[in-house]
Amino acid sequence: MYFVLTALRGGPLHGHAISKSIKELSGGRVQPSVGTLYGILERLNERGVIAVDREETVNGRNRRYFRITDEGQALVEAEARRMQEAASLVLRPTTFASLVRRLTA
Amino acid sequence: MTALERRYRRLLLAYPRQYRMAHGDELLDVLLESAAPGQSAPVLREVWGLLLGGVRTRITHQATGTAWADGLHLGVTAVSAVNLAALLPFTGSLPLWTLLSALALLAIMRGWTRTAFLLTLATGVKAVSIAGGWQPLDLTLLPVYPSPLADHPLFETSSPLAVAVGYGVALSGLAVLAWRRQRPRVRSWWWLVAALAAAWAGPSWLPEDTPFPISLSKMAVEVVALGLAVAGAYLARDPRWALASGIYLVVTSGDLGLHGDQLTRQHLAYWGVLVVLTLATAFAPYRQRRHALD
Repeated sequence: MYFVLTALRGGPLHGHAISKSIKELSGGRVQPSVGTLYGILERLNERGVIAVDREETVNGRNRRYFRITDEGQALVEAEARRMQEAASLVLRPTTFASLVRRLTA
Repeated sequence: MTALERRYRRLLLAYPRQYRMAHGDELLDVLLESAAPGQSAPVLREVWGLLLGGVRTRITHQATGTAWADGLHLGVTAVSAVNLAALLPFTGSLPLWTLLSALALLAIMRGWTRTAFLLTLATGVKAVSIAGGWQPLDLTLLPVYPSPLADHPLFETSSPLAVAVGYGVALSGLAVLAWRRQRPRVRSWWWLVAALAAAWAGPSWLPEDTPFPISLSKMAVEVVALGLAVAGAYLARDPRWALASGIYLVVTSGDLGLHGDQLTRQHLAYWGVLVVLTLATAFAPYRQRRHALD
């Protein structure tokens, strides 16, 4: 969900482009199958977090381009802030306790 | 059409027809674009994703329309399948009534509520008569002895009241649905298979001298159906499966309750499983959301 919304922050994309973008953004760690990806897209679409921007026909097959909505933008930013706060608990450079330990060592 | 496309098209059958018509080609396009050059067989990850995605889509697509009416119709379908299952082993002795019962279930599955009401009323009157030893419609030699599917005469262990409750619940539900004048959804043909499986006495799991036997195959069908109901309630966050399961539980509990003094620990364990699964369908729609997709 997070990577799908992050991928769509750059502009409307179709299913294959979203899949490629997720792979790039995650450094190859996340690579959802097409069934999983479309399950996520349908549910995000139902909940108004993304919307169908336009439809095109390529090689005789319909192709939907999805875009992130304002609600989706707010959601992914809130999630990023939450993860940043969680990460800072572990990765912050110095804490008062570690500073005292360093000074008394 | 390449071999890979043909195989992916076959896998897309996991999705409901309506979804396939609207987006099947789009998914196929992405699947083929993601494939390596010269690839002729789908990769396992994509196979699993399509199967799971298809099942999930099928379940969530069931959660459309008015929840209470759909839940009521589903509950009536389940009760009617069990009513038919009770008669099926006796088809040789009661061909007309078993046929009418099968037609009643068929009419319910197709959403023809008025026809289903009349057929259920007719078979209900006959079934209650047999259970009570009465002959109001036609002469039937009692007791009705079984075929290889069952190991005891028809309604040998059921009271007329328990049989009447089963048909009464189905008739009440059909009356409400007919009054609503909106045709219920068409149900899966699997309900006929479920009725056939539930009709079989199956391997014995209760002591042979128990006065109130419960078919193992019927129990298996119930657990599978209620398990699917829990999955539906969980995925779609919809109360219709709770209503349907509740209707079914009322009918089954009534039958067990009338045999209160004959119940063993196995009977109570069986009832406990049905209660737990029904409660799960009731609570699953209201579980806490963990993230935006949940």
